[in-house]
Amino acid sequence: MNSLLTPAVAGLSAGGAYAILGVCAIFTYRLVAVVNFTGAAIGAAGTFVMVALTEHGMPLFPAVIIGILAGALVGVMIGGVMTKWFSGASATTKAAVTAALLVGIIALGLRLTGGQRPHLFPDLVSGSAFRFAGVEVTWGSLLTVTLAVGLTIASDLFLARTRTGLQMRALSERPMAAELIGIRVRVLALAVWGIMGAVTAFAMMIIAPLRSPDFMSLSLLVVPALAAALIGAFRSFRAALLGGVLIGIVEGMVSALEFGARFRGVVPFLVILIVLLWSQRGARWDAAR
Amino acid sequence: MSALAIENLVVNRTGIPVVRGVNLIAKAGEISVLLGSNGAGKTTLLEGISGVIPASGRIALDGADLTRSLAGHRARAGLSHVEQGRTVFGEMTTEENLRVALHPSASLDQAYALFPELVQRRTVLAGMLSGGEQQMLVIARSLVGLPKVVLIDEMSAGLAPVVVGRLMSAVRKLADSGVAVVLVEQFAALALAIGNRAYVLRRGQMVFEGGCAELAKDPARLHHLYLGDAGETGAEETRQHA
Repeated sequence: MNSLLTPAVAGLSAGGAYAILGVCAIFTYRLVAVVNFTGAAIGAAGTFVMVALTEHGMPLFPAVIIGILAGALVGVMIGGVMTKWFSGASATTKAAVTAALLVGIIALGLRLTGGQRPHLFPDLVSGSAFRFAGVEVTWGSLLTVTLAVGLTIASDLFLARTRTGLQMRALSERPMAAELIGIRVRVLALAVWGIMGAVTAFAMMIIAPLRSPDFMSLSLLVVPALAAALIGAFRSFRAALLGGVLIGIVEGMVSALEFGARFRGVVPFLVILIVLLWSQRGARWDAAR
Repeated sequence: MSALAIENLVVNRTGIPVVRGVNLIAKAGEISVLLGSNGAGKTTLLEGISGVIPASGRIALDGADLTRSLAGHRARAGLSHVEQGRTVFGEMTTEENLRVALHPSASLDQAYALFPELVQRRTVLAGMLSGGEQQMLVIARSLVGLPKVVLIDEMSAGLAPVVVGRLMSAVRKLADSGVAVVLVEQFAALALAIGNRAYVLRRGQMVFEGGCAELAKDPARLHHLYLGDAGETGAEETRQHA
C-alpha cells in the first residue's frame, strides 16, 4: 500500500501544477475563446528568466518576481498577436495559431537557453511539511495544490461576483455587443493573457526542478494542462482542478511501477483519448444503431 | 441643441459604398425615425455611426468629433447602439446583463421602472427569456449606461404586435427622459406615431427629412419615398441589365 501511496503523494506537486495550468487554459478559453497551446511555453519563458537571473547571482525572491512579470509580459505579447490579428477568427484558426506560436516559442527558447545545456532550477520551497500515513508530504506539493485550489475558487468568484468578471464573461460571449456597451475589450483581453502568463510562470517555477531542465520539456507540459482542461470540458474550473491533480497522482503511481516509469508521459495522452471517446459516446452509439 | 450630428457620412461594405453622403441630426428628447426599404442602408448607417464598421464623413456627439474613435470609445462617450437580433448575453442572468453595463451614476431601478416585466425575471438566464423580454432587456441595458444617444435597429422584428406596442411606448419614455433616439423600424406607421423627426433612406442616400406627423399623414408620399418613381426605377434596372 505504502509503495503506491508514496509515489502518489509525490505526484501531488506535478498534479497541482497541472491543475493550475488547466484552470488557466479554461480561463483563457472561456474569456478570450482561445484553446491556448502556448500556456506552458509562456510559463517556461518566465521560469527561464528567473533561472538566468539566479545564475547571474540575483537573490531568489526578486528573480522570482521578475520571472513572473516576464511571464505576464510574454502572455500580453501573445495576447497582442491574437487580439490584433485573430480576434474575429474561428476557434479552430485561433488554436492553430497558438500551436504555431508554440513551435516558434520553443525554437526561440531553446536557442536562447542553450538547447539541452543543463540549468540549475532553484527550489522555491523545499523540505517536508508533514507526514501522512508514513509518507512525507513536501512543502512543494502543499503549495501547488493550495495554489490550484485557491486559483479555482478565485476564478469562480471573480467571474461571478466582480464587475470586471462580468465584463469578461460578456466579452467572451459577444465581443461586439460587449464593445458596444463600452467594455474595454482589448484591454480586458490583454489582461487575461497577462494574468494567465504570470500565474503559469509561478506554477512552472515550482514544478521545474522536478522535470527535465530544458525549455521544450517545460513547454510541452501544455499536454497535461489541456488534458486537465478537457476533463473540465473547458468550462468547469473545479473539474479541471480535480483532473489535474488526478493526472499528477496517476503519473506518480505509474512511474513507481517497474515497467511503467518510461510510460509516465503517456498518461495525459491516455486521459485525453478517454475523455474524447467518452464525450463522443452518444454520437457513436447513435451511429452504431 | 443636437446631441448627434452626422455630416456627409459614407459607409462601405466590402468596398462598395452602401451609405453615400448622409446627413442626420438627432436632438435630445426626440425620436428620429429612420425609414427605408430592405437594403436601403439603414443598418449599415447605424453601424457606421456606432463604429461597428468604419465610416468617413463626420460624426459629432455633443460637438465632439468621434469619427475616428473606436466603437468602445463612442459607447463610453454616450453613443449606445441596440443592434438588431436581440444581442443579450445569454449565459448571464437578466440582472447580470444589466449590471455589466451599469454606469456608476445609474441604478438598476431605472431599468426596472421602464420594464417592470423584467423584475420577476432578474435571476433567469437571458437566453431563456422570450423574444420580447430579450428586446426589453437590451433596451434596458442601454438605458443603464446613461447614454446621450441611443441607436435602435429593428427592435420589432419577429415580435407580436402587442409586444411591439409595449416597446414603442418604452422608447418614447426613454426619449422623454432626455435621450436622443434614432429608431430604425419596419413598422413605419407605429414609428412615425411616436417619433418627432423622420428620415427616409433609399439606396444609401437620404431622400426625405421632415416631421413625422407630416409623413404619417401622407402614406402615398411615404410609399413613393420608399420605392422611388416606379417608371424611373424600372428604366434604371433595364439599363443596368443591358
